[in-house]
Amino acid sequence: MRTPIAHRVTGWLTSTWKSAWRIGWPRTDKDRAAVMISSFFLHIHSARVSRHSLKATYTFGLGLISAVLLGILTLTGLALMLNYVPYPTEAYRSMKDLQFVVTYGVVLRNLHRWSAHAMVFTVFLHMCRVFWTGSYKTPRQFNWVVGVALLLLTLGLSFTGYLLPWDQLAFWAITVGSNIAAYAPVVGGRLKFLLLAGHVIGPMTLLRFYVLHCVILPLAILALLALHVWRVRKDGLSGAPMTLDAVSETAGAFPASTKTWGLMAMTRRPSASVEARDVTDEVFAWPHLLYRELLVALGVVIVMHLVALAFAAPLEEMADPTRTPNPAKAPWYFLGLQELVHYSALIGGVLVPTLLVAALLLVPYVDTDPSGSGVWFARERRVANTVFTVAVILLALLTVIGTFFRGPSWAWVWPWK
Amino acid sequence: MKIADVTVKMDRRAFFWLGCAAIASATVGFLVSTFRFLVPNVLYEPPSRFAIGLSSAFPPDSITFLEDRRLFVFNSPDGFYAISAVCTHLGCTVKRSATGFDCPCHGSRFDANGRVSRGPAPAPLAWYALSLSPRDELVIDLDRQVAPDFRLRA
Repeated sequence: MRTPIAHRVTGWLTSTWKSAWRIGWPRTDKDRAAVMISSFFLHIHSARVSRHSLKATYTFGLGLISAVLLGILTLTGLALMLNYVPYPTEAYRSMKDLQFVVTYGVVLRNLHRWSAHAMVFTVFLHMCRVFWTGSYKTPRQFNWVVGVALLLLTLGLSFTGYLLPWDQLAFWAITVGSNIAAYAPVVGGRLKFLLLAGHVIGPMTLLRFYVLHCVILPLAILALLALHVWRVRKDGLSGAPMTLDAVSETAGAFPASTKTWGLMAMTRRPSASVEARDVTDEVFAWPHLLYRELLVALGVVIVMHLVALAFAAPLEEMADPTRTPNPAKAPWYFLGLQELVHYSALIGGVLVPTLLVAALLLVPYVDTDPSGSGVWFARERRVANTVFTVAVILLALLTVIGTFFRGPSWAWVWPWK
Repeated sequence: MKIADVTVKMDRRAFFWLGCAAIASATVGFLVSTFRFLVPNVLYEPPSRFAIGLSSAFPPDSITFLEDRRLFVFNSPDGFYAISAVCTHLGCTVKRSATGFDCPCHGSRFDANGRVSRGPAPAPLAWYALSLSPRDELVIDLDRQVAPDFRLRA
């Protein structure tokens, strides 16, 4: 039997708890919808999602994986900042301390480095998925543009990031990178001066890249990511095919509660989604989407931890301005570019990247035919998909050549010899 | 509106636009100044004209690589000359090879006079002016590039 005093305490506890989490654990479909739209953190999801966009083989969760990696990078990055001095030679000593002295330092650094590599990879794959499923089509054109900006920011964060250890890779990457900037027409020389804060690489250069890496670029990526996710929320999860058979409800069956549907119908949807919307094909985001997100996040954290425990992040000798390593290679994701730069700095370092980005930005505004959206390799999109795939293969080929087939003085070598 | 003895004809709309223009120019001024803030006025960098050692420290028919200055100094029968070791492609340090100089970064090759013989380098290696100080030291001036026929008679 409950005593009155215990009753009052539980009542107080319950009301206190409810002041923060008003819905509580949702037990009805109405609450499952309400919990998603009443929570600040959950409302970036719609209350219900189509089965199609939940299918693992449709999106492969690449956007989500990229976001989880960004989360890991933010947390580990914040921790690393507390054990890092952004000043030449001190910076390198910080790396050595992280490796050998600081408790858990080596794991956090490995996690950070490998997650950065993984993020470049998954963001790129995410872009490929969106292209191959034609998901940039109306109404998502602008979100594709935001996505391209996010890809560039990811690369910018990687570039500014691997300069911070102040090892040989760092020093010669700044050298090569700032000299590529100098090839830009008209403003090139001044751009290089501004990047280096002088004519030669020094403490001010390191400080500039440190602030870019830790403050300016992360703020930019967070702002654009918020916009990116918000647009996904407004336009609905990636385009379901226009002609979708009504799928019989199996898992998480819910009764046709007009009240819930009425609630959801308050959001104004673009016409494409309205046509695609098939209420019998939708399930509640709680628990179907959240459960999958949690699993993916858990998987990413576990895999990255295993990688971080098994493989040491690269760290070369301390930066030595007098000695260029031979060959001086960038990380793998820039080796395609470096292979191009080896033919011509202006063409490979300035012209081709600029044209590539311009082409990417124009994709949704040139390919305005709304058909073929929401399925992999739609028949109507054969030309677009072929062009894009050839470009991806070329980039991959250049990267493989730069990684495995280039030896000292960038001469051709056979990796098996 | 009457300011002192001058009567200015200005309605609310014109005053509004004047205000907008003032705020806009202040904003532009702020942005320009902030950009200028990022451009260093003083550089704590090594000087571009400096002594590299007594001329007698460079034996006849020798090639000396000054590692921290990234320079090759030649003492040939015709006289002294200096060639930069900074690759004109993307700034890596070139190495001496049998035929001249090789760049380790992107495979540019230069002949013995620093002219490009292969690879992506867009310009020959820089030649810098040498002079002799009263104390018989070789002095190099990185701000003064010279033609490949430059020789300093010591």
